[in-house]
Amino acid sequence: MPRLARSEWYDLTRDMNWSLSYVKEEEVWPAELSNGFGLPAEAWWVWDEPYKVTYPEYVHNQYGKDAGVYAVNAVIGRSKVYEQLDPGWKSAIIAHYGVIAIPEYLASLAESRMGRFGRAAAWRNMATFGTLDEMRHGQIQTYFPYGLLAKEPRADWAHKALHTNEWGALAARSLFDDMFTANDAVSTAVQLTFTFETGFTNLQFLGMAADAMKVGDVDFGALISSIQTDEARHSQQGEPTIKLLVEHGRKDVAQQLVDHMFWRSWRLFALLTGLSMDYYTPLEHRGHSFKEFMREWICKQFLDQFRDFGLEKPWYWDEHFLPELDWYHHALQLGIWYWRPTVWWNPDAGVAPEEREWLEEKYPGWHDTFGGHWDVIDRFLGGQIQPPTMEGALAWMGLSPDEMGRDATDYAWAQAAPHDRSAARG
Amino acid sequence: MTGAANRRQQKTWSMFGDVRRRPTPYEVVTGRFHYHFRRDPVPFEMDPEWSLNQWYLAHREGSPFQVDDWEGFRDPAKLTYRDYVALQHDREIYLDALVDRYEGNGTAATPRSGQANPGQAAPGRPGPGWVDTLRTLFVPLRFPLHVLQMVGLYVGQMAPSSYITNCAHFQAADEMRRIQRIAYWTRVLADAHGDDLARTATARRAWEDGPAWQPLRQTLEHLLIAYDWGEAFTGLNLVVKPAVDTLVNEMFGQLAEANGDRFLAELCTEFARDARRSQDWTQALTGYAIERRPELAGVLDDWVTTWRPRADEGVEGLAELFTTAPRPLAADVTARVREVHDEFLVGTSI
Repeated sequence: MPRLARSEWYDLTRDMNWSLSYVKEEEVWPAELSNGFGLPAEAWWVWDEPYKVTYPEYVHNQYGKDAGVYAVNAVIGRSKVYEQLDPGWKSAIIAHYGVIAIPEYLASLAESRMGRFGRAAAWRNMATFGTLDEMRHGQIQTYFPYGLLAKEPRADWAHKALHTNEWGALAARSLFDDMFTANDAVSTAVQLTFTFETGFTNLQFLGMAADAMKVGDVDFGALISSIQTDEARHSQQGEPTIKLLVEHGRKDVAQQLVDHMFWRSWRLFALLTGLSMDYYTPLEHRGHSFKEFMREWICKQFLDQFRDFGLEKPWYWDEHFLPELDWYHHALQLGIWYWRPTVWWNPDAGVAPEEREWLEEKYPGWHDTFGGHWDVIDRFLGGQIQPPTMEGALAWMGLSPDEMGRDATDYAWAQAAPHDRSAARG
Repeated sequence: MTGAANRRQQKTWSMFGDVRRRPTPYEVVTGRFHYHFRRDPVPFEMDPEWSLNQWYLAHREGSPFQVDDWEGFRDPAKLTYRDYVALQHDREIYLDALVDRYEGNGTAATPRSGQANPGQAAPGRPGPGWVDTLRTLFVPLRFPLHVLQMVGLYVGQMAPSSYITNCAHFQAADEMRRIQRIAYWTRVLADAHGDDLARTATARRAWEDGPAWQPLRQTLEHLLIAYDWGEAFTGLNLVVKPAVDTLVNEMFGQLAEANGDRFLAELCTEFARDARRSQDWTQALTGYAIERRPELAGVLDDWVTTWRPRADEGVEGLAELFTTAPRPLAADVTARVREVHDEFLVGTSI
């Protein structure tokens, strides 16, 4: 091996910052692609990544990681492991692939935006590795479900979801475009790498990898834990960015970026991970509830990090966010189960008697708030409402066709309304 | 709940349509990942007036470099991420061994005093004259090469198909690879010949103020703001990068060889492998586009005409430094770069 230790030469790979002479700073780093928030150009040059890696180290490590993960996939692909997985767990991973696979690839555009429009060479290098990482995650998380197509046609959604107008895909697009695909480099470092990756996905991936192993999904477990090791590295672009903003008196900017994206991430996280942990994962394999996971991992760890930077917890934390831990994903679970034809996975109701007991224990009051709704569904399934259809339910309620409510003006308002968004704005 | 249509065994991604040939593993993890290209009404799920929607509409959808379908383009190397890291893992093992070999024999060390002809290199050992050339010509290279990395990433994020994006992203990573090996050897040289070689100021001063570097810096700073994706691709991959690659990988490699620096000669030969891969996909992409819309040859040619003189000036500036080496090249550096560049452009179908 070459004789010099990384520390002896590393700084020479990251000092390529210079003063422009032939074009203007605002032309090379236009605000829409790289909002400097008023910091002088040279202030960014001291940007210092906590995690150091060189190109040779990177390709050596990644080669080994990919070889390992693809080898597991090749073995599992020839086995009956997938067929034997619990149906609820299958739903969790099919949902995961649809929401996450292509967005991970899109994050490579966000990384290459930081690689071009990041304001220090060291940052641009880290983002170049990040660009490769996210390409890896997009490819690996499409390759695995592709292998499932013969067994599970819905695995197609790993590739297709973001191209559709399915509501969950639309929600994912809205969140991820806002967070990174259509965000400027500085905000992306704070919102994607610090808020989302450090705050949510790092921990989610650790949690999911453990759950996957418990339910016997070695394939998914290997995949997720391997991805997590990349995330742990490239997510560290946020920290030095926030430090510089704070040091230069722009704590307000950092705070606002974090507040904004923590809230939006929480809403998607509740949908994906909340349902997966509390309803889709087989009861015997549940280690902790989603709320416990959120409180112990996300809330505590993330709050500690906020405070390390001198940031405050988001303004909505105590009054809005914490109370939502008790109910928001339970409400989503009901809604998604009711509207199950509108999603690409098979929602698992997860409310058999022993599961209800577990939910009541983890969320005292669950039965009064949510159990009642599931009781109504029980009446359908138990045969009390005949036929078990919308018509049957309306008849059960005593509504005849002439009596059912209908729009008072026969939709006259819709005829008059502008359909075109731009016309509506104008 | 699975419908009858879904129960029919699906052979590939439905987004690929009714394909006759079974997609390769490369295609499975590369094709149709950019849901946002030409999406109606705007690329991203944000307000239509949002700055990034407008940016992509202007510089990607609005570029004159357009064909009906970019998804038919294929990287001639057909690289997936997994293939790329496997390839470069092997090549870096080779370079690690190369470094070992030359570190072991003391290549970078100063010649012993009393050696005849101290301005020139003893076999395998650089003389002070050559160290001066390295200081002025080799050490500052990481700055312009870093700009190539930046622009490569811009081309990648703006490209209309993931088939193109990935090529550009690998190319940018290759630039980082080259920079890091230069950085490593700069440190080795500094340990042997004086710490100033490894000081940022040594490289930055040359890059910011050295007269020989200014034409190239001017060109690269302008390339950074060529935001139309077609122009960025053309300026970088058809013009500036091929010229710089020939200057560094071929001409500087030859200069090193002529001055007894076998290590740097071999290192440059290795860099040329990455450059060749860049040229291959560049020629494949221009060929793909021109085959579909022959008039694009004119569009590309206009950009080449704009950027070629700028690239040539950059090369001419640095060519001067080649003449100060203890053993300069007999060949005219500028003319040779131009000749190689012409040959490359012939292969681009313009």
